[in-house]
Amino acid sequence: MRTALGLVVLVAAVAVGCGGPLQLQTVSADTAGVVTVLSGSAITLGFVVAPLFGGSGDPMDPRAFRGFGLSSGRLAAALAAAGMLTVPVLAQTAVAVCFAVLWIRRGAQWPVAVVAAALGLITCLLAARVLRSVAGLFLAPRRSRELTGALLVGLLVLVIPVAVFLVSLQWNGRIPGTLVEAVRILALTPLGAAWALPWRPAALTIVIAVGTVVLLAAAWWALVHRALHTVEPPAAARGMGGLGWFAVTPGTPAGAVAARSLLYWLTDARYLANLAVLPVIAVVAMVPLMIVGQPFAWVVLVPAPLLALFLGWLPHNDLAYDSTAIWLHVASGVRGISDRVGRLIPVGVIGTVVLAVVIPVSVGLHGDWAVAPVMVGVCASLFLSGLGFSSIASAAAPSPVTHPGDSPFRQPERTGSGGALAQGGVLLGSLLVSIPAVWWGWLSFADRRFVGVAFWGGLLIGAAVLAVGLAIGALVFERRGSRLLELAEAA
Amino acid sequence: MDAAVTSIDGIIIPPKPPLPAAPPLPTGDLDDLVIPPKPPLPVPEPVPVPEPEPVPEPEPVPEPQPVPEPEPEPEPEPEPVPEPEPVPESEPEIAPAEPADTDPQVAPIAPSARARTGMPAVTVRGLTKSFGSTAAVAGIDLTVPAGTFYGLLGPNGAGKTTTLSMISGLLRPDQGTIEIDGVDMRRHPRDIARMIGVLPDRLRTFDRLSGRQLLFYTGMLRGLDAGIVTSRIGDLARAFDMVEALGRPVSDYSAGMTKKVMLAGALLHSPRVLILDEPFEAVDPVSSAVILDILTTYVDHGGTVILSSHGMELIERVCARVAVIVAGQVLAEGAVDDVRGELTLEQRFLQLAGGLSDVEGLEWLHGFSD
Repeated sequence: MRTALGLVVLVAAVAVGCGGPLQLQTVSADTAGVVTVLSGSAITLGFVVAPLFGGSGDPMDPRAFRGFGLSSGRLAAALAAAGMLTVPVLAQTAVAVCFAVLWIRRGAQWPVAVVAAALGLITCLLAARVLRSVAGLFLAPRRSRELTGALLVGLLVLVIPVAVFLVSLQWNGRIPGTLVEAVRILALTPLGAAWALPWRPAALTIVIAVGTVVLLAAAWWALVHRALHTVEPPAAARGMGGLGWFAVTPGTPAGAVAARSLLYWLTDARYLANLAVLPVIAVVAMVPLMIVGQPFAWVVLVPAPLLALFLGWLPHNDLAYDSTAIWLHVASGVRGISDRVGRLIPVGVIGTVVLAVVIPVSVGLHGDWAVAPVMVGVCASLFLSGLGFSSIASAAAPSPVTHPGDSPFRQPERTGSGGALAQGGVLLGSLLVSIPAVWWGWLSFADRRFVGVAFWGGLLIGAAVLAVGLAIGALVFERRGSRLLELAEAA
Repeated sequence: MDAAVTSIDGIIIPPKPPLPAAPPLPTGDLDDLVIPPKPPLPVPEPVPVPEPEPVPEPEPVPEPQPVPEPEPEPEPEPEPVPEPEPVPESEPEIAPAEPADTDPQVAPIAPSARARTGMPAVTVRGLTKSFGSTAAVAGIDLTVPAGTFYGLLGPNGAGKTTTLSMISGLLRPDQGTIEIDGVDMRRHPRDIARMIGVLPDRLRTFDRLSGRQLLFYTGMLRGLDAGIVTSRIGDLARAFDMVEALGRPVSDYSAGMTKKVMLAGALLHSPRVLILDEPFEAVDPVSSAVILDILTTYVDHGGTVILSSHGMELIERVCARVAVIVAGQVLAEGAVDDVRGELTLEQRFLQLAGGLSDVEGLEWLHGFSD
């Protein structure tokens, strides 16, 4: 029943997908290009993402064909060809044919249109095979509630900005220029290059489209080869039950620290209280500016950098939250860098998700999408450098916090001013190193050439400060070693 | 019992002399196992008989002689404690065994726990630590031979935990040196961390994790392979009888359960030296017996255990050597028999710690108020 229903929906979708493009003959080339590239990229993305969420058990698992003694190359080709006969690929074939017909009728040279459709189709096909195989290798042994949640969040981070972008467009009966601009960028990505070939047959587009297929084919061959020539150690799959996040993160010291921190960030009221403050900050920052009469289009740009600053500052005292349980890290002689990196993973993930939602929304409300790269640059500079400074501060100057299990709103007893110094230092430091990004952003309003400078400059500064902060933090952590526990006991 | 021991090492305990009728009762079993660490008593009859070995057949090991004792000190002991069994008889004749013979047998069993015979496992010199103006540890020297149970005794607040914390690398000494197997702690803290397993007292743990997660976390922090860690967790869970408890968060555990899971964590990487602060506090007698059994096997294979406890009887029973710490100083140190002399260990301890005599000024308690 469900299969039948699915089939009906699919047939309907294919009918729309085929019928739609064929009516595009009369519209402008840009409109046709936008529609084909957008829908083609979306479908390709679907082929990439779906295997990650699919259930276990691949009927065309290369390992199942081990007994036939085929060479890796032949088996890879055979399995890829067999993949043509799956329902999603057949449906996509129909759509690709319609795209080709559309472009030929519109006057594109027929070899270009056919090759483009074939490349697009092969990209989808191979992407699905490769992702399915990779998912079987890395995800199947870790399949758990936590993993599905993490994947969903990842998907949202991708989808939300796109959705916000599409919603914010001003259509006015024609394709907005911003959208055409965005699709041009999409045409230079592996997702859209093949579909964009008949629209803009530039050399770069061809290289990207063909290169994508070649790389995917190579990856597929390598995966088949691996499946045929290695025996999976059963130990990896065994006994990972009941480990929660620990089964999701890599089995390294840093991965374990990350899993433990994630578990605490998501369950400990003291961390959750920090997160609960986030929306308050976003709103509270805007109100006074609105009251004094600043235009909404500008005020709406304020929360994102503010949140980035706060998120980067959040872990400046995370070591103290462990209280005396930190002895385990000291006694096991864990590398400072593992501890430092692992601890930043949760806030890094949460911060990225929050910013990935807030930045597009505020830029959408602002109205001019050219601000988006600038915002990304400024926020990255603030957030990443904040994490870098926090990494040093939390190892160098843990200050008293509420004890585990106490109410998050209970004030700890504070002695001395070391903690305040660290708190202020982290804030001030990340503000200082972000001045260039902000300055470039400011310049970009007058001169659009600075948009790129602000974007890359902000990202690079943030990344550099983060790297240096991690290195210094790791050094401090290892040098202090046993002193940390005394501080924790005092805290 | 036996299953527990077996699963820890994956190998049957090397041939304790005859070990004839292993009684099902844990305690009985323990008594047998506990025999080895005995102080230096003069050898009564060294009897270096070429060993006819009357009971060879139940041994799966192909060795000609059982020669199990990895005992670093070649002191044989003829069982000073009651036990007029024939068992001790065989003990002395084995003891003088050439160490060369023990090596090939023991080494494959627990390589990392194998201590180099004759070397002190832990050497502490001139250790001091003050908190503010109070000196918690005021110049302590200890030498713990490899392959022994070593007990730390002392009244509350004597500095036992501080001393053990410093040996564990959790606390930095104000002065003094600590060496584990000849490696200086101050210079190679991470090497030391690999060699020792730690069970601290009164420190928190990550109790939002389930027991399984906590053990997995401990193993990962130690840099072990995930597959090895999961299989060892399974072994330890069975040995410590907490298979189903591992699914619950540690915060729900009783004090004794928490001790057990943390002890399991200290064993995960099969360290050379175990430093256990009050390992049996709040642990039920059955679990204590199991733990003791596991630790005894560990020591028999060359591992070294330093523990503090208030259980005099227990220390007397299992420890080869003890140190009595009072007010941050070692008042007595040596083989258990030397320390206690004519008295029981408890009497001797009370004498050293200066207990009973000075309880004065509580006369009001002798007449009731109502």
